[in-house]
Amino acid sequence: MSALLEVRDLTMRFGGLTAVDGLSFRVEQGSIHGLIGPNGAGKTTTFNMISGFYRPTSGQVLLRGEDISGLKMYEVARRGVVRTFQHSTLFAELTVLENALVGTHMPFRPNVFAAIIGWDREDRRGALARAAEALEFFGLSGYAGARAGDLSHGHQRALGLAVAYASHPDVMLLDEPFTGMNPEETRSMMALMEKLRGQGITILIVEHDMAAIMGLCDTITCMSFGRLLAEGDPEHIRNHPAVIEAYLGGTHHAA
Amino acid sequence: MIELLAQTGLNAVYAASYIALVAVGLVLIFGVMGVINFAHGELFMAGAYTVVALYASRDVPFILAVAAGLVFVGGLGLFMERTMFRPLRDNPLGGLVASIGFLMILQAAAAMGFGVRKEHIPPVTQQVIEFSEKVRLPMARLYVIVAAIVILLALWYFLKRTRFGWALRASAQDPEAAELQGISINQTARIAMFIGAAMAGIAGALTAPLVSVNPHMGHSVIVTAFIVIIVGGVGSLEGAVLASIAYALVHTFVTTFWDGVIADIVGLSLMLLVLIVRPTGLFGSADRA
Amino acid sequence: MLRLAAWPLLALVLVALPHGLSFSQQEILVFLTINVLVVASYRLLTLTGEWSLGHVVIMGVGAYASALYSKKFGVWVPASMLLGAVTAALIAVLLSFPLFRMKGFYFLIGSFASGEIIRLLWKRFRDPFGGPKGLKLIEGMPDFSIGIWDFQFFEPVSYYYFAGTVVAICLWILWRIERSPVGLTFHAVHWQDRLAEACGVNLRAWRTLAFTVASGFAGLGGALLAHYIGTINPNSFDIEKMVFVLTWAIVGGTGTFYGPILGCVVLTVFNEIVLREMGFEQMRPLIYGAILIGSILFLPNGLESLVQKLVGRRRRVPGPAEIVGESAVK
Repeated sequence: MSALLEVRDLTMRFGGLTAVDGLSFRVEQGSIHGLIGPNGAGKTTTFNMISGFYRPTSGQVLLRGEDISGLKMYEVARRGVVRTFQHSTLFAELTVLENALVGTHMPFRPNVFAAIIGWDREDRRGALARAAEALEFFGLSGYAGARAGDLSHGHQRALGLAVAYASHPDVMLLDEPFTGMNPEETRSMMALMEKLRGQGITILIVEHDMAAIMGLCDTITCMSFGRLLAEGDPEHIRNHPAVIEAYLGGTHHAA
Repeated sequence: MIELLAQTGLNAVYAASYIALVAVGLVLIFGVMGVINFAHGELFMAGAYTVVALYASRDVPFILAVAAGLVFVGGLGLFMERTMFRPLRDNPLGGLVASIGFLMILQAAAAMGFGVRKEHIPPVTQQVIEFSEKVRLPMARLYVIVAAIVILLALWYFLKRTRFGWALRASAQDPEAAELQGISINQTARIAMFIGAAMAGIAGALTAPLVSVNPHMGHSVIVTAFIVIIVGGVGSLEGAVLASIAYALVHTFVTTFWDGVIADIVGLSLMLLVLIVRPTGLFGSADRA
Repeated sequence: MLRLAAWPLLALVLVALPHGLSFSQQEILVFLTINVLVVASYRLLTLTGEWSLGHVVIMGVGAYASALYSKKFGVWVPASMLLGAVTAALIAVLLSFPLFRMKGFYFLIGSFASGEIIRLLWKRFRDPFGGPKGLKLIEGMPDFSIGIWDFQFFEPVSYYYFAGTVVAICLWILWRIERSPVGLTFHAVHWQDRLAEACGVNLRAWRTLAFTVASGFAGLGGALLAHYIGTINPNSFDIEKMVFVLTWAIVGGTGTFYGPILGCVVLTVFNEIVLREMGFEQMRPLIYGAILIGSILFLPNGLESLVQKLVGRRRRVPGPAEIVGESAVK
């Protein structure tokens, strides 16, 4: 296994506040990697820098050795690093299948001239097949015609993953995928992630609830106050005194 | 040359004074209600036509006609607030479009009531202050300048020193928090709309004898006001005043040394430039965007 | 079966229509045809969620450009119309650089400002734009005959057939775009731009694409207008005209393809037939303004929402089967 994604000395300052301070870690190819920490540790900021939503103040994000820091979100996505969003960020007005079709934007790039003349029939079929495949992968085939905004919370989360999956990503960045889920939904979501790994997709999960991802991740990076606190396999993190202190010492959300 | 500069400077001060009245009213409405009032130029026109109807046609003293313009246009503002902006509070684009509809109604009403021709309004005073042979300030313009300064100072006092003013500023910053504090949004919206509209009305009434009064006069007024509030930073009253002065200087000088159309192009280009570089304006930050 | 019969029937009605009208009504029909194109192209722009106040000026760019190409360089009129459309699209590409740094309200004001600048340039530069008086004696469409039919394009009926054919083709193209993955991407940019970007959509490029295509069609509409009326000036494309386009779109509703067209047709018929015949000539802007306010307040989803109620279905966006062009799903 080799590092697919690497973060090197990543720093983000907002005015006088340093949200992330010289953070470095590596995500191995084909692994499920957790990025955890108490609230305000800088996880989401890190996530936003990797996905291209923020431009880091300094430091680098490397994908297969190529520096992708400072690229825009769509440029990062086109290199195979696709993110999901917290909460249920979907095209609520569109149908479930149309959501997945938007996800196929990168493999089947729409072209206005081809669309007018009708030379994109092959692409449309391909996109539809890929979208249907993504929906089936996440068990959403039965809802293809439903309005995305009408789905249950768990299904909306799954659709969020399906949209990202439809683009054939190498790396999926998941932003707190378990928030607001009941235990059953959490279990099925974890099964889906195992399935994604089975497809060779590398996954980076940002989560503040440690318990949820303990059984899932191969490696966990724990942050606190913008810095790296500890890194290792779940067992190592679970028993790491600094991690326990960070979580218990924080005012809320003990693991 | 010095004299030309001085004269142009005086013209700019005069222009700045009524532009500031219009722009500050527009900013006040935007700040409190979050809606851009496209009909603001037509409120200016309505003030001017009040003077036509009372002072020019019926020999009502000028000062009373101006007061009537203030009340009438302020009333139009209240009407707009109640019938359009209040029902459309959650729909800023809808409010803007509705105000465009109101603009057309006011324009057509003016054309039907007074005809589309330019109105003749007898001058209020013929007196001129002569600083030198080539530097002159007509008394009528001085009145406008003085009135604008007095009104702006009064507004400043009202906003910073009275309870109503405090409520207004609070609901401009955060309507929900203001409501929790027991400030009625309807109340502050009414006050803002009355003051904002009345300021446009009084500016139109005061300048009526000095400009060409016709049903389409609002267009250049609203374009100028847009430039000023964008350059000044949408939502900033002080910025609007400063930008009015800056714009009047640039526009007057360019008009004097090149021509009026070039001056308009320069003004609009400045606004585009500000929008590109810093959409929140040069002087202030947007309370609502 | 019904759908198959509907289109030829509609075509037949549209072909027969001018023969039952007076001369002035025929002229209005020509303008209506052109306005349908302008408002339909406006909808394409609003698909990405941006509302412009410069669309009519862009239409004017097409009109001025086409008129000048034929006047100054003697370009054959149909070709100069196409070139006018291309010019409008190119100007839109240029404008997109500053404008798409802005969003929402700022875009609205920015588009207004850039439109005003263009109009002032026409006013200022007598050569080649003709100053405030504009361009006169713009060459008309060259007459031609097909077999027994003679088309003399100064006549409204002939020009109506010509413009109608052009507009029908344009509407078909616009329809194809909207019902394609391209249209779906526009919707995606509108509803959730961040998620769309995470799917690899270059937001700026797609907004520019919508703006450019819409502007091209608006420019063609302007060219069609210029070569019919023969004279244009900066005030032919002022904010008041823009308000009309806005009113059509809002009264009709922008949720569907036909909404703005419906608004344009209904209001034009109402405006020209009812108000003009009834002698409300001077009050027309007033009534227009009142309709605009009334529909914003009481019919926020436009006339199309009434149609949808009548027909009994609600479809804001194309279904997947329609996007693919066949029923491949299920």
